[in-house]
Amino acid sequence: MTILPTLKSLAVAAAILASTSAIALAKDVHISVWAGGTGPNDVYRLDAIEIAAQQLQREAALKGEELKITVEKKPYSAWEDFKQALTLAAEAKTAPNIVVSGHEDIAPWSQAGLIVPIEDYVDLDSWPLSDIYENLLQIASYNGTVYGIPQDSESRPMFFWKPYMKAIGYSDADLDALPQSVQDGKYTMKNLLEDAKKMQDKGLVQAGYGFYPRPSNGPDYWQFYTSFGGTMEEGGKLVFDKGAMTRTYQFFADAVKTGVTKKNHIGMPGDQWWKEVATGKAGIWDGGTWHYARLVNQEGLKDFFGNVIFTLIPAGEGGKANTLTHPLVYLLTAGHNQEDTEIAAQLVKIASEPRTNALHAVKSAHLGISKSEATVDFYSADRWTREATERLLPHANAMPNNSDFGKYWNIMWKNLEASWTGAKTVDAAIGDAESELKSTLGDKIVIR
Amino acid sequence: MKSSRTLGLVMIAPAAIMIVLFFLMPVVLTAVFSMTSMTTATGISGGVYQIAPNSLIALKSAMPDIAAEMAEPRYTIDDAGLKAVEGLGLAPGIAAELRAKHTGEVFPTRRDVERMIKDLAERPSTREVKQISEQFNRSVLNTRFDSKEQLFSALDSLGFKLTPEQKETVARVTYTGWTWTTDNFSRMATSPDMARVLFNTVLYVALVLMLFNVGYALLLAILTHYMPPTPASIFRGIWLLPRITPVVIYVMLWKWLAWDSGFISILMGKFGYPPKNYLLDNAYNAWFFVVLINGFIGASMGMLVFSSAMKAIPKSQFYASEVDGASRWQQIRYIILPQMRWPILFVTCYQTLSLLASFNEILLATNGGPGNATEVWALSAYHTALRNYAGNLEYGLGAAMALVLVVIGVAMSLLYLRVFSYGTLVAKPLIED
Repeated sequence: MTILPTLKSLAVAAAILASTSAIALAKDVHISVWAGGTGPNDVYRLDAIEIAAQQLQREAALKGEELKITVEKKPYSAWEDFKQALTLAAEAKTAPNIVVSGHEDIAPWSQAGLIVPIEDYVDLDSWPLSDIYENLLQIASYNGTVYGIPQDSESRPMFFWKPYMKAIGYSDADLDALPQSVQDGKYTMKNLLEDAKKMQDKGLVQAGYGFYPRPSNGPDYWQFYTSFGGTMEEGGKLVFDKGAMTRTYQFFADAVKTGVTKKNHIGMPGDQWWKEVATGKAGIWDGGTWHYARLVNQEGLKDFFGNVIFTLIPAGEGGKANTLTHPLVYLLTAGHNQEDTEIAAQLVKIASEPRTNALHAVKSAHLGISKSEATVDFYSADRWTREATERLLPHANAMPNNSDFGKYWNIMWKNLEASWTGAKTVDAAIGDAESELKSTLGDKIVIR
Repeated sequence: MKSSRTLGLVMIAPAAIMIVLFFLMPVVLTAVFSMTSMTTATGISGGVYQIAPNSLIALKSAMPDIAAEMAEPRYTIDDAGLKAVEGLGLAPGIAAELRAKHTGEVFPTRRDVERMIKDLAERPSTREVKQISEQFNRSVLNTRFDSKEQLFSALDSLGFKLTPEQKETVARVTYTGWTWTTDNFSRMATSPDMARVLFNTVLYVALVLMLFNVGYALLLAILTHYMPPTPASIFRGIWLLPRITPVVIYVMLWKWLAWDSGFISILMGKFGYPPKNYLLDNAYNAWFFVVLINGFIGASMGMLVFSSAMKAIPKSQFYASEVDGASRWQQIRYIILPQMRWPILFVTCYQTLSLLASFNEILLATNGGPGNATEVWALSAYHTALRNYAGNLEYGLGAAMALVLVVIGVAMSLLYLRVFSYGTLVAKPLIED
């Protein structure tokens, strides 16, 4: 066994012995933490560990131990760079102690032995971990083992620019009812494309700006697949629903064909996209709850609620309205000594306390991770987090934790991009995706 | 003589070691990796055997009963476990209470047994709880075994009656590491996207090479040949700028030029055209810019080689042709081009090889888009093996793709050496020692 029970017991016993007998001995611990997808609004992903370190040092001092924890923080703004750096560092045995990444990395990283289960180091039944939403803990698990502690939660809404919706005939009452109407399946993807077209026809937005989706690869696109009736995983096996995927690809191809979305939309500079959605250049777009922070803090959209209304992703043919939560999780990497990993786990636990986590939630416009966080005044007083939690979270799905999901994702995205830009017809893209999925994943994916 | 030969070997040794380490080894390793199924999920350093719920899915079809039994996690409070707990040196009340109140109980999950342990009168610490629960683990589920032998002995000790063949099947489906395979090559051969990427690569190399690295370079060299020396030097200097500008900045300048709020959009806006991202507008535009960006960099090398080669043509030939009344075009046609055969061939060969392997400008400019239209082989290998959004790095497939490039490169080098008559070039001089 990798960790023989006896060896493990010996190691833990030694650690206990060391921690009790070394009273009054100064301990200098260096904990490094890396976080992916981390911009200026998300600093508390790293800072929370620093805050936790101060708390743990104080607790140690009361027990008569002298503990000094140095936290080394490293944010990565882009995901590609972060995952490449982390994977290669972990293979080279130089990974940081704590990693903040998407939950979908748990499956491949745990299978490769790059991370260790956090449940081996912390008591999940004690506060604050016992208070974390059960479904989030599920998402942070793989093979029935809890590998990570959710660092945040979020969901990915559809945004509508209110003044343009009014200009094409929606009254205030209609707009107030829109989120419910989307949730009930009365307002669908078809209506969305029609409204986007109306906005363009009326000259409210330029051609190609009616529906202005995320301009790069991301979990968002799985929501559209769900919206058109797709399932990502069933009974532990990945599922490629050809009908649902065809309708998804066709939706974007139609958006381009009717001119409400630009053919060259994917790959546009991110800064340009942000500026355009914040200034009303686009009519309808999708994004994450955290977009609120960026729009208000960096892009100068002062009256968010006056200008923007947000809903679930509307239902398409064969599916239902939905949203996707993509919690980032705190993970512990393998290859460090037991004592450091133990301290890292304690830091993650303390960082998950409601008031500390609320700092991240409010600053970055992510959603809370635990029940009591919703009762923290600082959190509940924030209109965005309150409304987004109520409106979206109950309907949120998550991507599957499956070690082969990344391969599926790459193939799905590559062909979506090809059919969107017209490089392939929708049928050809589906055919290519199917044959590549078959040759890549064999019987690990169900094609239907 | 003998000692001088030994000395020669000693002197060349550092270079030989460098060649082996930095030139030969990467190729050998690429070849080795290409024959594996390595990905992020399998790791590079090798795998372990882990009977996990997800690996049991594969086992279910082959051995449904055994799979169901293995899927059952159990924590049993039995005598062996209690003895082990007593041996841990914890507070004695813990083992005693367990023995008295919980002997014979079976818990389906680790969290359940740990909840019971935490409820003991002498509440153990979290670390102790983990230690204690481990003593009662009577399941192979989610345990990682370093070797097959360890896996098999665990299966035996837990009472699974398996034949050697069945054990091998269990080992095969529960192995988490990479395996040797030729699948990467069959995937490459059958994937329609790979065919497209190959076509892109041929298109890219051919266009940049013909239009710029050779064609335009030759034009520049001929133009500057007929200029007075000072303007000619200035002109050549300007054409060197793309080569000496850091590539990130150079490509960024092109992007500023071509994107929605860039120079071209502003200019075209004056004529009533709406702004658009000219670089990524469609595949043709993307190719246009990719060829220009790479061509402007590549043209400088050919220009320098051709210019110096032209300088080596005896001036007398030009004077004589002018006396005979030859036009500029006739000079180019009958004096310059015939004597440029070898420089042209050299630049063609050299640039083909470097274009085949180059992708950094494309990565920065279009990242292979739109819709993978400008994804060339080297860039695709990089995306596959080292950088993609889903974070699933397929080292094996990426290495196989890189190997294809290596093979093409070596084959073309050999062909070129033959065309250049390398043998004649390095033949022993006639005057021997």
